Amino acid sequence: MLNAPNDAMGVETATLASAPRRAGLSEAARRRWFLAVLLGPTAVIVLAVVAFPFVYNVAISFSNMNIYTLRDWELIGLDQYGAVFREPAFWSVFFKTIVWTVVCVAFHVGLGVLLAVLLHQSFIKGKSAWRVLLIIPWAVPQYITALTWRGEFNFEFGAVNLLIEGLGGSAVSWLSDPFTAFVAAIITNVWLGFPFMMVIALGGLQSIPRELYEAAEVDGASAWTQFRTITAPLLKPVMIPAITLGTIWTFNNINVVWLVSNGGEPNDQTHILVSYVYEAAFSMYRFGWAAALSMVIFAVLFVFTQVFLNRTQATESVY
Amino acid sequence: MRLLVCALFLATAVGGCAGASGPPPEGEPVVVRIWHQKDAAERQFLDDWAAAYNASQDTVVVETLYKETEELRNHYVFAAIGGKGPDLIFGPADNMGTLGITETIRPLDSLVDPDFLAGFSEDGRVTYDGKLYGLADQIGNHLTFVYNPALLPEPPETLDELAALGRTLTRDTDGDGDADQYALVWNYTEPFFFIPFLTSFGGWVMDDAGNPTLDTPETVAAIQYVLDLRDRYGVIPREADYETAKALFRDDYAAATIDGPWSWGGYQDAGVDVQLAPLPLNEQTGLRAQPMAAAKAYSLNPAVPDWKLPAVLGVLQLLTGDAIQAQMARELATIPVRTAVRQSDVMTSSETLTQSLAQIEYSRPMPTAPQMRQIWDAMRGPYQLVMNGQVSAEEGARLMQEQAEKRIADTFLN
Repeated sequence: MLNAPNDAMGVETATLASAPRRAGLSEAARRRWFLAVLLGPTAVIVLAVVAFPFVYNVAISFSNMNIYTLRDWELIGLDQYGAVFREPAFWSVFFKTIVWTVVCVAFHVGLGVLLAVLLHQSFIKGKSAWRVLLIIPWAVPQYITALTWRGEFNFEFGAVNLLIEGLGGSAVSWLSDPFTAFVAAIITNVWLGFPFMMVIALGGLQSIPRELYEAAEVDGASAWTQFRTITAPLLKPVMIPAITLGTIWTFNNINVVWLVSNGGEPNDQTHILVSYVYEAAFSMYRFGWAAALSMVIFAVLFVFTQVFLNRTQATESVY
Repeated sequence: MRLLVCALFLATAVGGCAGASGPPPEGEPVVVRIWHQKDAAERQFLDDWAAAYNASQDTVVVETLYKETEELRNHYVFAAIGGKGPDLIFGPADNMGTLGITETIRPLDSLVDPDFLAGFSEDGRVTYDGKLYGLADQIGNHLTFVYNPALLPEPPETLDELAALGRTLTRDTDGDGDADQYALVWNYTEPFFFIPFLTSFGGWVMDDAGNPTLDTPETVAAIQYVLDLRDRYGVIPREADYETAKALFRDDYAAATIDGPWSWGGYQDAGVDVQLAPLPLNEQTGLRAQPMAAAKAYSLNPAVPDWKLPAVLGVLQLLTGDAIQAQMARELATIPVRTAVRQSDVMTSSETLTQSLAQIEYSRPMPTAPQMRQIWDAMRGPYQLVMNGQVSAEEGARLMQEQAEKRIADTFLN
């Protein structure tokens, strides 16, 4: 007893051993009980706001819940899933969501890493000020940004067309055409999202040993070669999880699409899956159908995450 | 020490889950909760009223919570389904259909004093499916022609005169080839703001059974008129959503707009000496452009327990009675729905109220049928396709009808 090691709480078990024991409970059991009580409220909250809604959503995805059956819905098996895949608009919206996600994330990562590499260079002056300026898009609430950008895409009075016309181009009906409205939403989301990738990349760059670049310079490697053989592989463990998160967030980003396109305008042609779910649930009260579609979205993202992390071996060391 | 920490955590967890359910202890006031979507001026009025009422007695405390219209409906439905939520909900009459179907509001027919009920005008008693579900404190939500007399001394009387405004009031003031001032701006791509032109050509959105009636020559004619205002007469800009239109009118880049009561005070506060006029007459049909008008009413949550009903109904009567409606008419220029107030000299207490009432005389009640929501959503897309030049007015009307029927079927028949 007197030679027993200290426990994790820094209290010698010898000291505890000499104190009167609570009948029926070992020290380890008491500690587990105490931790359980400390974690209990958090667990309750997580169960209430994450687990229960998820399980409930799974349940109503197998139900006929709609405006008439809100109180007395019944389970109907896989009918809603069948209805989702039979919906004519589903596949086009799904395709658009893929395009939306791929394009946005590509630009987020590309711009973010480019700016991070630039900011990491020794010849850049005023780095702190640049970092603050470049983080501002991320810091401003999405709601404000999306509505502001919507105004900037106005055909006659928006700054985007004023700039285009000032450079000798022709004004674009950004928000009146489905394609350009979609592009407008992408531009807005790229503006919002690149700072996150830039910050992650900056952190990753700090951890790359300077000696590697010095050795490469000695060997005559160009800037591009250094980026390709040193920077990119060593940024990978940091960027892959960020890209995974960014993909999930972008896939599910209802705010930008909904606000820039004013709810899928024109003619519901700028919807992505998640805004489509929102409209089905809260405009049309097709709760069962919307729940099934949200489970399809979950499955898509779950499969993507598993495959992506496996294929990129993100968790393996590059050294 | 560990015991104390455990006890604190457990108390936090349990205490957070606890909620009051029975009557308050002796001497404690009953709390009546109201969720509403009133605009800024009315919100302040309601809060001031509640503060004064709470201070004047100690048996009832009124608490109010603002939510945006869509949020209000959705949050309320989900709360009420679970037996929670406020005691009273205040919103536009077109919510009644949805709330009635979901049984999240309780009929008032047998609960409210018949003599009190008799004091309402017909538009102040909001019904759905033959039952009384809401008591209104005003009728409104109606669009009117809002103009700046400094730029437009006299409002147009007819749609032809409105179209002619493009020649005189849409101007390129800086010579760059683009118009800098428009005769008229309004949120013309939103179906609600299209309705007055639809009615001026004799069209309407649904029949008495709730079936959409959008694929009609009247709809086509109305869409074509709006298109002509933009493309042929140059009266309105190429694009103008609500916020853009509001900003243009407020900043004197447009002589007139079409907007509702929620906006008039804002324009006045921005320094625009706004005047209101009824929307013009369609000389082709002899019909006026009639906007939709809706009562805004209080409804009762069915979860209100019996012991609390007297307090809640008492507050409901106070909030919809003669005194408050007269005060609202004087201070906010809202149109009362109590007969005695409507017939009193309160109605001549402000120019805005008089002008607003003139438009109400030429308005149509917004349907309370739940299909209305699907019809709005179905109109929006095709209407915008027409405005973008992607389909003709005829095709747009056909698509509206097709999409409305599909949405109604998907929502109510699946």
